[in-house]
Amino acid sequence: MTPVKDLTYTQAITELESILRTMQSDECDIDRLAALTRRATELIAECRSRLVATDEELKAILADLEK
Amino acid sequence: MQTNSLSLLELTRLVASLVQRPETQNVWVTAELSDVAVRGGHCYMELLQKDERGLQVAKARGVIWASNFPRIDAEFFAATGQRFATGLKVMLRVSASMHPVYGFSLVVTAVNPDYTMGDLMRRRREILERLQREGILELNRQLQWPAVPQRIAVVSAEGAAGYGDFMNQLYHNPARLRFKTRLYPAVMQGTSAPRSIISALECIAAEADMWDGVVIIRGGGATSDLQAFEDYELAANVSQFPLPIAIGIGHERDITVLDWVANKRLKTPTAVAEWLVSTGENALGFLMTVGNRILQLASERLSGNKEQLAHAEGLLPVAACNALERAGARLRNAAIALSGISGRRLHPQLTRLDMTLQAVKEATRNRLQRTNSRLDAAASLLDALSPMATLKRGYTITRIDGHAVTSASQLQPGAIIETIFPDGTAISEIKTVTNKS
Repeated sequence: MTPVKDLTYTQAITELESILRTMQSDECDIDRLAALTRRATELIAECRSRLVATDEELKAILADLEK
Repeated sequence: MQTNSLSLLELTRLVASLVQRPETQNVWVTAELSDVAVRGGHCYMELLQKDERGLQVAKARGVIWASNFPRIDAEFFAATGQRFATGLKVMLRVSASMHPVYGFSLVVTAVNPDYTMGDLMRRRREILERLQREGILELNRQLQWPAVPQRIAVVSAEGAAGYGDFMNQLYHNPARLRFKTRLYPAVMQGTSAPRSIISALECIAAEADMWDGVVIIRGGGATSDLQAFEDYELAANVSQFPLPIAIGIGHERDITVLDWVANKRLKTPTAVAEWLVSTGENALGFLMTVGNRILQLASERLSGNKEQLAHAEGLLPVAACNALERAGARLRNAAIALSGISGRRLHPQLTRLDMTLQAVKEATRNRLQRTNSRLDAAASLLDALSPMATLKRGYTITRIDGHAVTSASQLQPGAIIETIFPDGTAISEIKTVTNKS
């Protein structure tokens, strides 16, 4: 499986949607459930981290704006 | 030497009386606006007429007095969405005027906005038709923004209110979405605006891979001059730009050529920022929804399995008992079956055994009988051979220490011997022994 950091945002979203579909279907057994949930969690965390600025970044940006 | 002369005032008054005739009062005239300026509530402008090559063939100063200007301005803006500005074609009701100090001017008393609109529409249509003909009209509109545009190249005037609004809106978003922007400064008003915006776009194109898209923004205001955006060169540059472009040039009711060719059209710089922020917020919302849905599905699946497990746990003791019972029953059945089988199998064997036993008995008996008869014969023989008969014939048996004595040499004087008769015994002591040999 590709490490989440190497995926584009769109690829990550596409994979998330496919995981969701798999989990909604009946073919998802309990063994895969754990793996899918873990992967989905990683993907969501990665996407969020790309969208949302850290405190440090935010401070730097706002300080820039004040100038 | 001419001694009769007019004072300047007299002459200008004469000119004025010639100019200010009924034919020159309250006439509708068409002209192009230039150098519009508002001073002390009065609006001053140059009225031009150009030939096909763009050369001026007529020019006159125009003025709208402060008593008329607010009404005319409001009427014009309401109909066209613009203020009086350079480049606009207008139809005005004017009165020619000659002032001793300020000279010739046309005093504007009314405006026909339809003429301007018609002209703007015609010019815009010409530009759009040309772009269409060249196959570039929809190029920028066909580009896709990334799922979440975060790297934004900004074309705006440095220090402009619209730019400040945009930046504040973008960076003070509550979701703390991360954006990266850079200002590519450009003149956003007047005739130099198209050229200036085009060169800013060229700078962005040179590093296009740094950016997700471009926003062209300008704050609205009383001095809106949208003519700058009704420009073929600018429209052609925007439509062919490699990145999607969003426009927010602060106008409300009318649109410019730029709005037709740009990928995204928004009313104000703030609206552009809001659009970017809401795109990001939607993405975050989607992530949250997916996360919750996955959590829910996983929990449902888990609890479903737990339930199944609990059910199984509940069933297990009963199942074991049942299983034992069933096994016991099977065992009993098997035993019964087996015994049936055993009976059937053993019976012939037993019968055979019985018969064998019988045979053995028989044989033994026969054998015994045969032995008995032989014994009888033997017994007769034995009888015949028994010492009793010999003894009866007058022989005795001599024994010493229980052994029969068959030779005189076995005896010593003083030895005690037993002599056996058919009807008794006698104990004797040897006196002498004489060996025959």
